[in-house]
Amino acid sequence: MIRLHEGSKASIIFVLICKLLMPAAYAFNYEGFTFNGHIESRGIKTLNSGTPKEDMSYELELDSERDIGSWGKFRLALKAVDDGKVINPTHNGVFDTFNRVYQDRDQYINVDEAYIDIYTNSADFRLGIQKFAWGRLDEINPTDNLNTQDLTEFVFPEQNVRKIGAPAFKADIYSDLFNTEIAWIPRYIPYRLPTPEERWFPPILKPPTIVHSSTGDIPVISHYEDADLPAFKLSNSEIGIRISKYIKGWDASISYFSGYDPTPLIIGTTDITVELLDPSSFKTQIRTDAYVKPSLHRMQVFGFDFTNTIGKFTLRGECAYYAGKYYSRKTEDIMREETTKEKQKEIMDKFMKDYIESGMKDTRQVFHTNPDVEVKKNSMKYGLGVDYIRGDTTLSVQWIQEYIFDYDKSRPVYLNKKGVDTTFTLSLKQLYLQDTLEIGLDGMYGVEFRQYLIKPHITYSFTDNLKGTIEARILQGRDTDSAIGQFRDNDEIFARMKYSF
Amino acid sequence: MKIFSIPVLMAVVLIMTVVAPCSASQMTPYQIMKKSEDLLDQAKDSKSDMTMILINKKGNKRVRELISYGKNLDNGVKKTLLIFKAPADVKGTSFLSWSFPGREDKQWLYLPALARVRQISSASKGESFMGTEFSYYDMGRHHLDDYTYKLLREEKVGEQMCYVIEATPKEKKYYSKVISWIRKDNFIPARMDFYDKSGRLLKRNMIKKIENIDGINTPMYMEMHNVQTERTTIIKLANVHYNIGLPERFFTERYMKRGR
Repeated sequence: MIRLHEGSKASIIFVLICKLLMPAAYAFNYEGFTFNGHIESRGIKTLNSGTPKEDMSYELELDSERDIGSWGKFRLALKAVDDGKVINPTHNGVFDTFNRVYQDRDQYINVDEAYIDIYTNSADFRLGIQKFAWGRLDEINPTDNLNTQDLTEFVFPEQNVRKIGAPAFKADIYSDLFNTEIAWIPRYIPYRLPTPEERWFPPILKPPTIVHSSTGDIPVISHYEDADLPAFKLSNSEIGIRISKYIKGWDASISYFSGYDPTPLIIGTTDITVELLDPSSFKTQIRTDAYVKPSLHRMQVFGFDFTNTIGKFTLRGECAYYAGKYYSRKTEDIMREETTKEKQKEIMDKFMKDYIESGMKDTRQVFHTNPDVEVKKNSMKYGLGVDYIRGDTTLSVQWIQEYIFDYDKSRPVYLNKKGVDTTFTLSLKQLYLQDTLEIGLDGMYGVEFRQYLIKPHITYSFTDNLKGTIEARILQGRDTDSAIGQFRDNDEIFARMKYSF
Repeated sequence: MKIFSIPVLMAVVLIMTVVAPCSASQMTPYQIMKKSEDLLDQAKDSKSDMTMILINKKGNKRVRELISYGKNLDNGVKKTLLIFKAPADVKGTSFLSWSFPGREDKQWLYLPALARVRQISSASKGESFMGTEFSYYDMGRHHLDDYTYKLLREEKVGEQMCYVIEATPKEKKYYSKVISWIRKDNFIPARMDFYDKSGRLLKRNMIKKIENIDGINTPMYMEMHNVQTERTTIIKLANVHYNIGLPERFFTERYMKRGR
């Protein structure tokens, strides 16, 4: 495994390991360690031509645990992946690192979780790389901000799979009055994005390739840089506290988080290059280089959540108030501001002045601009969910809404319309043949943007260990600058074979 | 204090009230069922390893392994915690049930894939538990006074003479009735027939092996056959321990997530 990164041989070796292990894999114990895991191969078939393609991916997960007497446990969960999503791998190294948004390697080992638990009478402690799960809703949890997510495959993997384990300390303190969970993440771990040429890089994070100005079209060349991570110091660490109580049938919690917003945001600067091609006719050529990189901002989140059963239904709710959350302004709006006649005239006047002052030698000049691409607002995100189980049928419906306070219509932001973004989700699951066949439908509808995601899927368990899944992923949206609509050409069929041991 | 030993065994040992005295023994059906429960229920708490074998009508088998914990509290509340150990794709899944006398149960399910504990409506308790022929209701624990009883007859199951007692739920939520064959020699149920809400025979549970553990006769092997779907679930118990001093905090979300 250590030499996976060494070129194409590694890929062949990896595939062979997966294929050889497949028939022999079984759970086993060694020196008190229990080993479980899975081997899977997965791939997609694109339904629209012209969209980025992916190769097959192969994954081996090993999850080992060892009890330490009755007072603790050690756990290590590793994934070795031959990732078919990555088109032009450029980074060396064996492991996924904790300091990059763009991992950009096609063969890697990911430390999913690695921690030690210590149990005492009234408190449990966990130290190491770990994932948290706050809130009561499914997949979209306004109060769950401690872990960032790997978005290289959009939101298709389950939420807990998307989450990136963070080196952290957690204490769960139990009392008759209430339970308290305290989490401390000394260093922020950034979210992961695919590279711009890959299938699931969000188009709304890409600058335009051409800017239309009053003097003509200006080509834009984009350069993607990785995030500048906050310095490793105490004031940059993240902290969360959640107090939970069971009272008269209700499971309820209040929570507080102070840390970095896990939502991907991009900031950019531009270099406008003006070059005098022909001094006699004063013909110039203008081009723009846009330098974009992930933007990181701290925020505070105050939340509460609850759940209870009412008759045949389970009710779940969650609400978060975001103090000082940043939103990305729409590119077209920024461009309109940056390409006004006044600004162009200002640049050309400066160019002429410098050109003349240089003795007409300086025919090529670069002007740096730093557009205002973000707005900082207070906002709320809240939702309600209802579950219904009857026989082998499970139905879950959720309503989730985000509301931005003091929304400025003259400075619109992405993923939000006039300060509101409403989403309905649906999950329907039907089991057949003693739970060996599952047919399901997951859906998401965005009201303001009239966008939707539909995922019909079928999973068959050939044995207790071997499962096959086929899933259609249909994405549609009226606006190409909406969360789902931006991927409306990315319809695909997904297939996976998974062997668990 | 009434303490059930192994939750799933208790679930199928349904509980009853007196209607008429039994002529043969001078015991009422209620007394018979109560004695059965008392004998099975001499421990304050219990722990056991459980293997569930799911067999479909073609004979294909699937195996689930879990650990079962049970405890009764002085106030009549009965608590159950089940933790799955195998197969790998459900390992760590846990199910917690609090059964209250005279009101709806509370139930929670922890799925490691979601990393969250979910409350489940107890109105869904009639549904299959993880694909087995046992329902969530069967896996929980029940109260004697939820049923009324009638002694139908006495007859043999195999070599054992049994009381045949019909239990009718006061509130017909999951079954219309349950008929139990209680062995006269040790008051352990030998067979139980479950009837659906329309009155048709739904499932038959046969208890085929009993062991005396710490002085308690403990059913170790049972076979639940669904006569309507022709599917069967076998439950085998091992490493049964009683009175191990499980604290009440064991039956909480904390231990559901811990998975041990």
